Amino acid sequence: MTDTILDVRGLSVDIATAGGVLHAVRDISLKVERGKTLCVVGESGCGKSMTSLAIMDLLPKGARRSAAALSFAGEDLSRAPGKRFNALRGNRMAMIFQEPMTALNPAYTIGDQLAEPYRLHRGASAAQARDRAVYLLDKVGIASPAERLGQYPHQLSGGLRQRVMIAMALMCEPELLIADEPTTALDVTIQAQILRLLADLQKEFGVAIMLITHDLGVVARIADRVAVMYAGQVVEEGPAAALFSDPRHPYTRGLLDCIPVPGRTARGGRLGAIPGVVPSLVGEVHGCSFRDRCPHARPVCAEDPPAREVDGHRWRCILEKAA
Amino acid sequence: MNALLTADALTRSFEVGQGMFRRRRTLHAVNGVSLDIRKGEVLAIVGESGCGKSTLARMLLGLLPPSAGAITLEGRNIRDLGHKTVARRVQPVFQDPYSSLNPRRTIASIVALPLEVHGVGTAEERRRKVLDILDRVGLPQRFADRYPRELSGGQRQRVAIARALVMNPEIVICDEPTSALDVSVQSQILNLLMDLQKELGLTYVFISHNLAVVEHIATRVAVMYLGRVVELADTDSLFRNPRHPYTQALLASVLTPEPGLGLPDTHLGVAFPDPLNPPPGCSFHPRCPRRFEPCDKVTPALLRDAGGENAVACHLYPPSPANASLPKTKN
Ligand SMILES: Nc1ncnc2c1ncn2[C@@H]1O[C@H](COP(=O)(O)OP(=O)(O)OP(=O)(O)O)[C@@H](O)[C@H]1O
Ligand SMILES: Nc1ncnc2c1ncn2[C@@H]1O[C@H](COP(=O)(O)OP(=O)(O)OP(=O)(O)O)[C@@H](O)[C@H]1O
Ligand code: SF4
Ligand code: SF4
Ligand SMILES: [Mg+2]
Ligand SMILES: [Mg+2]
Repeated sequence: MTDTILDVRGLSVDIATAGGVLHAVRDISLKVERGKTLCVVGESGCGKSMTSLAIMDLLPKGARRSAAALSFAGEDLSRAPGKRFNALRGNRMAMIFQEPMTALNPAYTIGDQLAEPYRLHRGASAAQARDRAVYLLDKVGIASPAERLGQYPHQLSGGLRQRVMIAMALMCEPELLIADEPTTALDVTIQAQILRLLADLQKEFGVAIMLITHDLGVVARIADRVAVMYAGQVVEEGPAAALFSDPRHPYTRGLLDCIPVPGRTARGGRLGAIPGVVPSLVGEVHGCSFRDRCPHARPVCAEDPPAREVDGHRWRCILEKAA
Repeated sequence: MNALLTADALTRSFEVGQGMFRRRRTLHAVNGVSLDIRKGEVLAIVGESGCGKSTLARMLLGLLPPSAGAITLEGRNIRDLGHKTVARRVQPVFQDPYSSLNPRRTIASIVALPLEVHGVGTAEERRRKVLDILDRVGLPQRFADRYPRELSGGQRQRVAIARALVMNPEIVICDEPTSALDVSVQSQILNLLMDLQKELGLTYVFISHNLAVVEHIATRVAVMYLGRVVELADTDSLFRNPRHPYTQALLASVLTPEPGLGLPDTHLGVAFPDPLNPPPGCSFHPRCPRRFEPCDKVTPALLRDAGGENAVACHLYPPSPANASLPKTKN
């Protein structure tokens, strides 16, 4: 029996810019099941962070969300007031931000910032919050955790800051964890350790994880399902194994060719690239947005490509399969 | 081979610990690192988060004074050269494209700033040079008059690279230049960095935790652990025949894009490295699966191979008879 914790339908995010309205996220639908991991990958700027910020009701000024449904644990939040999100955020749903320095307050110690959500949402005492903070800092691999509580964010290395943020997100044992590039600044042995920690929490508490990453190695090893975004849309989504062994969308195929794979790519040689740039999403946008860069593009791609689906693997392209 | 930039026994410590009753403690972020950066090479620095890579990078850039040791640029101490001279020849591309760009300046004025500081050209010449370099790093000109907050991470990192290159430096110190980027942008930036290196004869120090990328781009690799270099080798030897147990664990932890394999077990202990409490002896010993008798007492020195350029700091590789710097004791 599947148990959907997050069900997003028809989510769009529009941002008012000097040049007009930027359609950062365009009518996407995503589902995350309890105890499962959905990985979101895609070109820089394709709207991954905006999607997660929209779900958390943390969009920046000037950005507007619209959604047919945004349901969290069965409750539709698409029209819920900010107050409702404040009660859930950092509590039943938590986020690990891509930009640690903007999420951490430079004026407060790590200890104060870790304790705050736990005291606020759980009514914990200062001592209880401190104990839990020490426990979690230790879990995410920070040595001398008690000493670190007294430090300020600027005194930590990039990787340590990221681990502090992970600990902070876990303080209240969330049911849904949205992690935006949580392990990018970490070296690989710690990354493996943190990913195992998340996998353990998932097994133990059934936490659902939506993980945004550009590391296809991470995706391959932890995802149950993968969503590939391009220019504000989900262009392909499906079970991880199918997506790697049988990518259907030309963009997904291109992505898989870009990574250096030891033994397969020649050292110092040119890596596969997807030439061209992402189209501007300001103003009216029509047709397949990948067509300027797609090696298979045809005139018909100027119209919206059909949505296809085989065994729960969906993609949007005129082609059944990119050769 | 001639060294362009040399680090000689570089050490940097910080005093940490706040509050009236907590005693202040010394954190050795970088601990006696000696490295030659040779003209035209790509020297990668890899290692655990917090092992001192960024601190080393900031010292090499002259942005942070060492507590001990010296940095020389073609034989002259950079302390005596002055910041402007060093900045003309050594430029950074930082780890965090978010905080390294001034949010109140447009992209064009961010990239033009080094030119202004060094008084290069007229306003119009600077503008042309900026548009030219933006084009080179693959940023459409429509971005020139936008602000950093309007750009995605990958776009911002291109701005940082453009800013680093606008002064035609000789050495570019890249601190995790692609770690915030998705893969198609990463491959473009790596191709770009490799092209620029050939075209402009650049030398790179390339800090990264992505070993597949390091294997692809680097000519030599320095592996750091808790503030020290524990292995130094040409790329081929390091990946074919890693010798330090930590290097071996690093290579074993690489997540290749093969679904179904799950997460690897690194066989490392959970004693995460702590620069506030560095273990005695070999600082890797609490996690090392191969530790033996001398490891928790004697700190292994970084020893160069007999007649070779590669070096390792581990008791499993005792000094060889031919090693000039450390003659073997007769028994
Ligand atoms: N405050 C803002 N004002 C205007 N445009 C913005 C703003 N923030 C983001 N954008 C634009 O919205 C689009 C989506 O941005 P988003 O941050 O979601 O991308 P992303 O997929 O997370 O990229 P990355 O992988 O680089 O983090 C981008 O084109 C970006 O330039
Ligand atoms: N200004 C500072 N004050 C106190 N400690 C510091 C300061 N800057 C760095 N440190 C400490 O020095 C050590 C090395 O930090 P550094 O940023 O060089 O690590 P790194 O290898 O770049 O890590 P990462 O891969 O996470 O970026 C860390 O323990 C860090 O907390
Ligand atoms: S719809 Fe056309 S342009 Fe778009 S990905 Fe498919 S073939 Fe390429
Ligand atoms: S010196 Fe000993 S503890 Fe250190 S890496 Fe070598 S074998 Fe392991
Ligand atoms: Mg993002
Ligand atoms: Mg760093």
